[in-house]
Amino acid sequence: MTVGLEQYIAVSAALFAIGFFGVLRRKNTLVIYMCLELMLNACNLGLIAFSRYHGGMSGSVFVFFTITVAAAEVAVGLAIIVALFRKRQTVQVPDLNALKN
Amino acid sequence: MPTDTLNSLGEIAATNTWGAIYPEMILGCLALFLLVLEVVLPKFAHGAIPRIAILGQILLLGYIVVFDPSGCCNGVAFGGMIELSGTGQALRIFFLLASIFVSYLAMVSFENKTLARVEYFAITLVVTGALSLMAMANHFVMLFVALETATVGFYVLVSYFRQNVLSLEAGLKYLIMGALSSAILLFGIVLLYGAASNPALAGSSEDAMNFQNLRAFLEANPTDSLAIIGMLLVISGVAFKIGAFPFQIWIPDVYQGAPVSTTAFLAVSSKAAGFAVLLTLVKTFAPLSSVLVPVLTGIAALTILFGNFAALTQRNLKRLIGLSGVSHAGFLLIGVIAAQAVPQATNWVLFYLFAYLLGSMAVFAVFAHLPKVWDSDLELDDLGDMAKRNGFLGIALAIGIGSLAGIPPLAGFIGKFLIFVAAFKAELYVLLGVGIVGVVISIYYYFGVIKAAFFEVWRFTDEDEEAEAAPALPGATLTGLGKLTIVVAIAGSVVLGFFQGPLGSWLSGQ
Repeated sequence: MTVGLEQYIAVSAALFAIGFFGVLRRKNTLVIYMCLELMLNACNLGLIAFSRYHGGMSGSVFVFFTITVAAAEVAVGLAIIVALFRKRQTVQVPDLNALKN
Repeated sequence: MPTDTLNSLGEIAATNTWGAIYPEMILGCLALFLLVLEVVLPKFAHGAIPRIAILGQILLLGYIVVFDPSGCCNGVAFGGMIELSGTGQALRIFFLLASIFVSYLAMVSFENKTLARVEYFAITLVVTGALSLMAMANHFVMLFVALETATVGFYVLVSYFRQNVLSLEAGLKYLIMGALSSAILLFGIVLLYGAASNPALAGSSEDAMNFQNLRAFLEANPTDSLAIIGMLLVISGVAFKIGAFPFQIWIPDVYQGAPVSTTAFLAVSSKAAGFAVLLTLVKTFAPLSSVLVPVLTGIAALTILFGNFAALTQRNLKRLIGLSGVSHAGFLLIGVIAAQAVPQATNWVLFYLFAYLLGSMAVFAVFAHLPKVWDSDLELDDLGDMAKRNGFLGIALAIGIGSLAGIPPLAGFIGKFLIFVAAFKAELYVLLGVGIVGVVISIYYYFGVIKAAFFEVWRFTDEDEEAEAAPALPGATLTGLGKLTIVVAIAGSVVLGFFQGPLGSWLSGQ
């Protein structure tokens, strides 16, 4: 069996779905954060696969932008998580309920 | 290297009209200049930096309004990355005006706190520039990068009060929700790109993320399922940003926890940028409107109903304004849907945004002046006969809330009226009905705020308690600059209620 575009897109969609349900279901903020990164990387894989098989460069170039954006998000996001941990000594989502509903 | 490649690169380079985006470049330079000032100036002079930021923005806004009100040129630039248009120019002025108010609110609410200040103003400037580029985006790469520049800035602005757990928690929630919505948007872009770059299909293009190329592809293949899923994901990502149902879950928490200036920034600028993107995308996705319009109609109706019903029971002021903002997003969505059939509705959406800006800023300015250590704790009862303690703030609150509620003759009334006219012309009778029901419900809670400010709060008190309850809230202190800012906001709301002519003709002349 040869690996074609469909297989790449299936993997990309599966990674995206794993990340998405991870964000919704997991309780640890750091794990949620990893799931968010997984979703972005699923998008990168999809972009590269489409770009390679459809023969255009714009998808490959876009990946550089998304990687940069993801790095910026991690830098800010981890800083917020660390600051919150210093205040509350926890990063578990069920404990972060100071904002009342 | 083949010469035709070089030639086409040269053609693209020739479209880099840097002069056309001078406001954004000036905003970026001003932000860097503020950071330099912080290093160069002695400690005691740091108080001047926020004033320099505001002054710089006022000068830039003044220059654009007086000398360049309709933009230098129309059409695509930067190799199809951005599209310069009158709508873009109007939104650019909108974002600048909003960021002046936001900077002022930040100056007020940081006064009694010990924290780094200069960065807030620098980030506000960068985010404003990014939002204005986002409104002009004509390519998914540009859209995504501008959106993320703004969103990452917002993460910092939301969690800016590092000593306050509520602010940090709001920051974390906004971070997770914002990153999630960006990832959904990005996956939608991937699918659209995959569909539209497929050389086996008619109308495909190598540069498939360009909106014109994408639209040409969608016109040739209006039933492509990959493209339809991609479109729905992209619309979901944008719906997160504007806080439309069912993606509004983050709004109350984040609006409550964030510093009041950031809440205003999110409520006004971020939402407006989302609608600017939505207006562009609806045009791009027009060939798929048989799917898109029912989806948007459902979202709009549920957004109006949810926002208004959820706001009914709120006691926390910032949550209440946040949820009322959800219903405003619903009204704006009606305008966006109507704009497909009635072209002028685009201008009416812009008018509504300007009215919403002035009304919200008056309300948030009052909140910023209420004496509380952390503004996330502001409750309805804290307004307790505020009108007696400070009549000026009372009137400002009444006019701001009145304009948001859509009480004639204020600007908000005209905004809602125009949206309803658009819905009527576009024959969206169901949405028109839902919108009118929404307005009726909203008057109940808006008047709750006014009632709390103008009438004595009934408190269950013994005599002992009464003695300590009465002087607990000192009157708010207002500087001359503060009065001027609030006067600008409320005067705008009143004047736009009576004379829509100048703004209207400027918007429609674009």
